[in-house]
Amino acid sequence: MKGTPVVETGAVTITGMLDQIGRTMAGIGGTMVGLIDMLGAVLAASGRVLIHPRGFRLTSTVHHLEQVCWRAVPIVVLITFLIGCIISQQGIFHFRKFGADIFVVDMLGVLVLREIGVLLVAIMVAGRSGSAYTAELGSMKMREEIDALRTMGFDPIEVLILPRMLALIIALPILAFLGAMAALYGGGLVAWLYGGVDPEAFLLRLRDAISIDHFTVGIIKAPVMAAVIGIVACVEGLAVQGSAESLGQHTTASVVKGIFFVIVMDGVFAIFFASIGM
Amino acid sequence: MMPQAATDAIIRVRDITVQFGATRVLDGLNLDVKGGEILGFVGPSGAGKSVLTRTIIGLVPKIAGRIEVFGIDLDAASAAARRAVERRWGILFQQGALFSSLTVRQNIQFPVREYLKVSQRLLDEIMVAKLGMVGLRPEVADRFPSELSGGMIKRVALARALALDPELVFLDEPTSGLDPIGAGDFDELVRTLQRTLGLTVFMVTHDLDSLYTACDRIAVLGNGKIIAAGSMADMQASQHPWLRQYFHGKRARAVMG
Repeated sequence: MKGTPVVETGAVTITGMLDQIGRTMAGIGGTMVGLIDMLGAVLAASGRVLIHPRGFRLTSTVHHLEQVCWRAVPIVVLITFLIGCIISQQGIFHFRKFGADIFVVDMLGVLVLREIGVLLVAIMVAGRSGSAYTAELGSMKMREEIDALRTMGFDPIEVLILPRMLALIIALPILAFLGAMAALYGGGLVAWLYGGVDPEAFLLRLRDAISIDHFTVGIIKAPVMAAVIGIVACVEGLAVQGSAESLGQHTTASVVKGIFFVIVMDGVFAIFFASIGM
Repeated sequence: MMPQAATDAIIRVRDITVQFGATRVLDGLNLDVKGGEILGFVGPSGAGKSVLTRTIIGLVPKIAGRIEVFGIDLDAASAAARRAVERRWGILFQQGALFSSLTVRQNIQFPVREYLKVSQRLLDEIMVAKLGMVGLRPEVADRFPSELSGGMIKRVALARALALDPELVFLDEPTSGLDPIGAGDFDELVRTLQRTLGLTVFMVTHDLDSLYTACDRIAVLGNGKIIAAGSMADMQASQHPWLRQYFHGKRARAVMG
């Protein structure tokens, strides 16, 4: 995570080090406040749009949905398919020593549906769409397009950010589902060709190994992760200052923070689901 | 066209103070812009000309002072009243600030589409009319801003600023980056539009030619205040050192011929 630019203070002295730690902490605090601020603004804008549905930008939402969902399908499916293959191959390779080949199906099913499917897809979306959002909003900020919007009496949150957030929140569960299916397919294929588990046995075992809870746990996380990625990306985009360097820095920060918060959220969800016994 | 009498102040700025960190950019500034005039706003680079413009249109927060536009106090106004004011002004940003993801057509129609419920045919007619006003042919309508030259971007941005038939137009360095002939044409255009539409124009500029040919009145910013305001003759008669340098320098003599 990147805090506010640290002033060169000669960190050799104790005071210099303390100074830097203080600045970094203040920077982290500022980041959190910025995210909560944006969350509030987006919720308020959603409320306004719910009351006056005419203000809702359907065209823009559909456009972003195409960008972040439809066009992401091939790469997401390909990568999750490969990850499924790898998990399955590694599982069989190591489980074989104990003669427990068939348990690879349990591992694959639980891992893919609960964790890997949604986490991997969220990380890909943060890298693919989070960065795009930040770069788009950042360059609009640089060109004063956002100022122009504001002076025409538009709310940039309603016009620019809400459609992007909504598109992401719709897209991520769909992509997570497709990703999980591709990973199971890839894993099943490898189990068959490499491990000699024929498809019928694989499906029977899978039916026993997983329950709807595993799937629910995975898919519930998806929209929340999408919201986190979207909010981080929009905060970073609007924080871009007038230079190309600033645009690059904020785009990097958007991806790094996005992935960081996705993993943190995943941890929080793991604790939550464990405590409610899911 | 004009709701106010021509002598009424359309913009009334009182004791505006704007501060960035420890630097005070505007310090108790007062300014009136009268209805139907073209006010040229000059001052040294970095004096805060753009900051004042951006403060009036609400993009820069001020720490003290009051701004009235069309007689409405913008701080005290409700969201709806503010929106009503925003509908009555048009702004040309320094770099044009056209929406880069939209074509020229969509850019010009954007504010109209939001405020008025009109058919696509009428929208297209409005777009062609506005393009004509700023001297562009309808053929450019389907180009993107990245495919336009600097001068064309400014013209399209002006067309967008005029889209809702505003009564007040802010121009931030409209002729910067244009060649002298293009700049001259642009001044002429602003003058013509102001005459035909009865606009009030607030123009930030560095261009002495613009001040001569287009502006009715000139206000000079220095040390966070208005140091002089008046006609071109007043400016030339002023004894203020910066004004003397500005209006009697080599470049000024060349313009005055």
